[in-house]
Amino acid sequence: MKKIKRSKLEFSLHLMLIPGVIVTLIYAYGPMAGIVMAFQRFRPTLGFFESKWIGWDNFRYVFALPDFMQVLWNTLVIALLKIVFGLAVPLLLALLLNEVTKSYFKRLVQTSIFLPFFLAWTVLAGVIFEIFSYSGPINSMLAAFHMEPIMFMGDDGWFRAILVGSDVWKGMGYNMIIFLAAITGINPSLYEAAVVDGAGKWKQMIHITLPGMSQIIILISVLSLGGILNAGFEQILLLYNPTVYGTADVIDTFVYRLGLFDQQYGPAAAVGLFKSVISLLLVGVSYALAYRLSNYRIF
Amino acid sequence: MRRRGLATYGLAGLLVGMAFMAGCSEEGGSDTKTGPTPATEETSSRGNDEQAAFDPLGPYEEPITVTQVLGFAPPQDASTPSSTTPETNAYVTKLKDMLNIDLKYLWTVPSDQYDQKFSLSVASGDLPDVMAISQSDFEKFKEDDLLADLTAAYENYASPNLKAFVEKDGGAALQLFTDADGKILGLPNYLDPYSSLQLMWIRTDWLENLQLEVPRTFEELERVAEAFVTGDPDQNNVNDTYGITMNKDLISWGFDARGVLYTMGSYPKAWVKDAQGKLVAGETTPETREALQTLQAWYQKGILDKEFAFKDIDKVVEDVVAGKVGIAFGEWWYPEWPLNLSKDSDPKAEWTAFPLPSYKGVPGKPLIPKANITKVLVANKKMKHPEALVKMANFYDVINSPEYAEENKPANGYVYSWFEPRFYNPTDIADTYKRINQALTTGDASHLTLSDQTLYENALAFREGDASKWGHYTSRVDENGGWGLTEKLKGEPVVYNEFAGTPTPTQIEKGSSLDKLTDETFLKIIVGSAPIEEFDKYAESWRKLGGSEITDEVNDWYATESGK
Amino acid sequence: MAYHNSRLRKLFLLGNALLLSAITFLCIVPFIHLLAVSLSSNTAAMAAEVKLWPVGFTLDAYAYLGQKPEFFRSLWVTVQRVVLGTALNMLLVVLCAYPLSKEPRQFRFRTGYVWFFAVTMFFGGGLIPTYIIVKETGLMNSLWALILPGALNVWHLVLLLNFFRNTPKEMEEAGLIDGAGHWRLLWSIYLPVSGPALATVFLFTIVGHWNAWFDGILYMNSPSNYPLQTYLSTLVTSLSKVSITVDDLSQLQNLSDKTLRTAQIFLGALPIMLVYPFLQKHFTKGITIGSVKG
Repeated sequence: MKKIKRSKLEFSLHLMLIPGVIVTLIYAYGPMAGIVMAFQRFRPTLGFFESKWIGWDNFRYVFALPDFMQVLWNTLVIALLKIVFGLAVPLLLALLLNEVTKSYFKRLVQTSIFLPFFLAWTVLAGVIFEIFSYSGPINSMLAAFHMEPIMFMGDDGWFRAILVGSDVWKGMGYNMIIFLAAITGINPSLYEAAVVDGAGKWKQMIHITLPGMSQIIILISVLSLGGILNAGFEQILLLYNPTVYGTADVIDTFVYRLGLFDQQYGPAAAVGLFKSVISLLLVGVSYALAYRLSNYRIF
Repeated sequence: MRRRGLATYGLAGLLVGMAFMAGCSEEGGSDTKTGPTPATEETSSRGNDEQAAFDPLGPYEEPITVTQVLGFAPPQDASTPSSTTPETNAYVTKLKDMLNIDLKYLWTVPSDQYDQKFSLSVASGDLPDVMAISQSDFEKFKEDDLLADLTAAYENYASPNLKAFVEKDGGAALQLFTDADGKILGLPNYLDPYSSLQLMWIRTDWLENLQLEVPRTFEELERVAEAFVTGDPDQNNVNDTYGITMNKDLISWGFDARGVLYTMGSYPKAWVKDAQGKLVAGETTPETREALQTLQAWYQKGILDKEFAFKDIDKVVEDVVAGKVGIAFGEWWYPEWPLNLSKDSDPKAEWTAFPLPSYKGVPGKPLIPKANITKVLVANKKMKHPEALVKMANFYDVINSPEYAEENKPANGYVYSWFEPRFYNPTDIADTYKRINQALTTGDASHLTLSDQTLYENALAFREGDASKWGHYTSRVDENGGWGLTEKLKGEPVVYNEFAGTPTPTQIEKGSSLDKLTDETFLKIIVGSAPIEEFDKYAESWRKLGGSEITDEVNDWYATESGK
Repeated sequence: MAYHNSRLRKLFLLGNALLLSAITFLCIVPFIHLLAVSLSSNTAAMAAEVKLWPVGFTLDAYAYLGQKPEFFRSLWVTVQRVVLGTALNMLLVVLCAYPLSKEPRQFRFRTGYVWFFAVTMFFGGGLIPTYIIVKETGLMNSLWALILPGALNVWHLVLLLNFFRNTPKEMEEAGLIDGAGHWRLLWSIYLPVSGPALATVFLFTIVGHWNAWFDGILYMNSPSNYPLQTYLSTLVTSLSKVSITVDDLSQLQNLSDKTLRTAQIFLGALPIMLVYPFLQKHFTKGITIGSVKG
């Protein structure tokens, strides 16, 4: 039997892509025309074509708002913490879970860890308030150890910790599944060979499992990095209060309180565009780095 | 990258939403009243010669279609057939019957998504014919020339009742929606400004337990509040109670700091007259500084919940229901919700309303808005029959007259809360209050209107011992209750929030930054993370960051408006 | 040489089990709390008395939900969108991930396509333009509005693309030598071997469709077309940032129903929580490396 001609082969690949391309063109690229709002004094009643073009004014306005820099900084810090822990914890869990032998226990743990993912923040926020409240269980425990109660929700540092912690807790199932799937993708014969060579479980993990997952780890890291300016709007909005604005106010909550989302479409679009560009930059840079350093092309 | 934008916008849509389409709190009650007044003329359509050309309820020869949009909540009355939808609302079918108007809904959504969906409609150019909008939307639509001229429609077609409701305040509200050329562009619905009067609600059973008197002065209030903290007023041998409710939004719509601040002469987020007659923002006055200091001291003493700065109204209500707090400043309607739940949870709980205490010898003066506009009815400029708006409003009024009492019942599929346009009698609560009390005293219930009936029956039931009716009774009927006290206080000195216009340019631009600064600073001072001196720095910043400009703009407005 | 730290190993396994159990407990507790609240009397719930066990046990909230035909109607809408949507999503994502997993050598426009898709991960028009497009393409108020706009998820695409790329080249080579075209290769070789990856994407897609509620509000003009989560969200009003008027007071009665809110959350999450364990086994299956012999 002969190999099929190259050009014919390629054609079938193009064919496969057509439906996806069409959908993306219409529903992803179509709306992108709306990015023009970022440069307009957009009035919905005038629409895209009639609204006045004002160039960079929307951007200037948003950046000049008091505290914008502070807010930008908060966003970066919180997002970075979330990304780092949001990767490390699921990774650790996947590795630990991999060592479990009893399959029903493994299933139980896996299912449970994924459960918080289903809880909406509107519900979780209430639960968090109760747990960390002045008279709540955590403080009661502290009291049992003769420690001073802590006002968690009012303390800048602690509040940030709660933000990151609860977010990681809620989402760890998601990344954990991806990492688990990556682990199962590793060739078992590699493990067999390692055992023959006398490698213990620890060495196996370091030399086989982790490297085998490295690509996925890099991929997820880079993609998460792209979302760095979304530090978790809904969560923060529900949990924060004015005493922690200093460290917890992020771009989206800031913009939300400014009423930008519903009244001022232009500046809101400008903020969106700003975030998009930064994401693109970050991902672009990481892509290049990943390629240079480990010869791994993410896309 | 999972659910980025959508969640963001979803939350954004939960902004200040006026649930225009939700009904009032009485079971099956309506808010437009037709008593034994000349209004009944309208129902005989063609007879009257002077009205022949302009019949307030004249049906259309050819059916016309009127489009609307709706934000709705499940019908309150449990006897409503469960299959009823906004489209099958008996009001809609009756409208077709009587006036030959086909009411079509472009879309309907749950009321808390209404704002979001409405903005989308506006943005995509899809406006319905008849709309109920907010004052600020009105200004925007007016500027963009989207509104129909309703002058002829109103003057020719509005029934006497409708005109009475709209112009109850002498036409002041209507003026706000008339343009410079005298064209009426919107018909306002507004409330008695006194409906936001701050009262002091106290757990009088706690007062009894601790053998305390009702506080009349500020010092007494402090003593009582402190006793509520340390004296174990609920007698359960645990120190788990505190004095006064407060949530993290110092100025909001319930369980906030307004009552306390107003008592001390502090009026943040409002514009009050200073000694020279100019308007000044309540945030930066010396009275506010003093008030914050007092609150700071209260916080230290535990009178305020240690975690109030993290709690929103939801959570504070939990405390109220659970019997953890004894004093709540707020408006007349508290008994209906949530105080009724507090009684459900603890039948011994007794909540009574009192006027604000006196401060430094002067009675506390609550803040009253100049106008309390709830919504504005407008017609799309492209609408072919703008007078249909007025006719529909007349229709609603007539359908709620005694003549239709038998037919107009929730059990027959009439869901009033889903129908627009719906005009209120601005003095509705007060009128009902007076009528029902008169009926209770004289025993003569003949003057009661359709919607009064349920409340009247509930009042009788309560007086005979049915405790489940306590909520509505205390809010709306009891002479010492929520509205009762409000009525009594109507002659007392108050302070007016003088600014009743739409946000000024600088307010739009910098208003929320200033609000953020205010919220943050005030809370920090109260909980003690910042010393009171922080206030002085704050006042400086406030002025610099746009406060001065806004003050000037507001005073400009005031100068021109006060001439009117 | 066998490894000799079997005692250490046992200790580790024990510690591991304990740690994982603790985490499991931590993850389950909120659900137990929610379940307890939903089965409690409303007064107790409003007073925040309920911890891990119902106070004033009652099935009222669930009974209420179960009686409403709208509940079942919206459930049906969701089932439809999950089935159709997931099928379409999987189809598109597989069809697109496969070509993009090829080297530029084999597929010359590969990188171009990749960036074409990738850009949509960062840039978007926002709510209004998307709404307008959906409207203009005639999807308003139709089930397809819940399916088409998100039919190709680029995040999943990138994920699957990577998995495909990691499939040993020898398998492909063998297939090509046998005269197989890409369709055959995809079907007979790549798919069978990508179990874990496909299961992952499948799970995420189903969950996404199941939980989606906002698009229901956006694109459906009438509540009879709402998917389940959208319908559930209509049962209660949100307190946040509402300004109160006489009109609104009735709304507050709805707010008081904490048990109803919680029951809603529970019912909304339950089906998917039950499905998940069954998909689990795919995450633990290993790759069966097919023979590379020609």
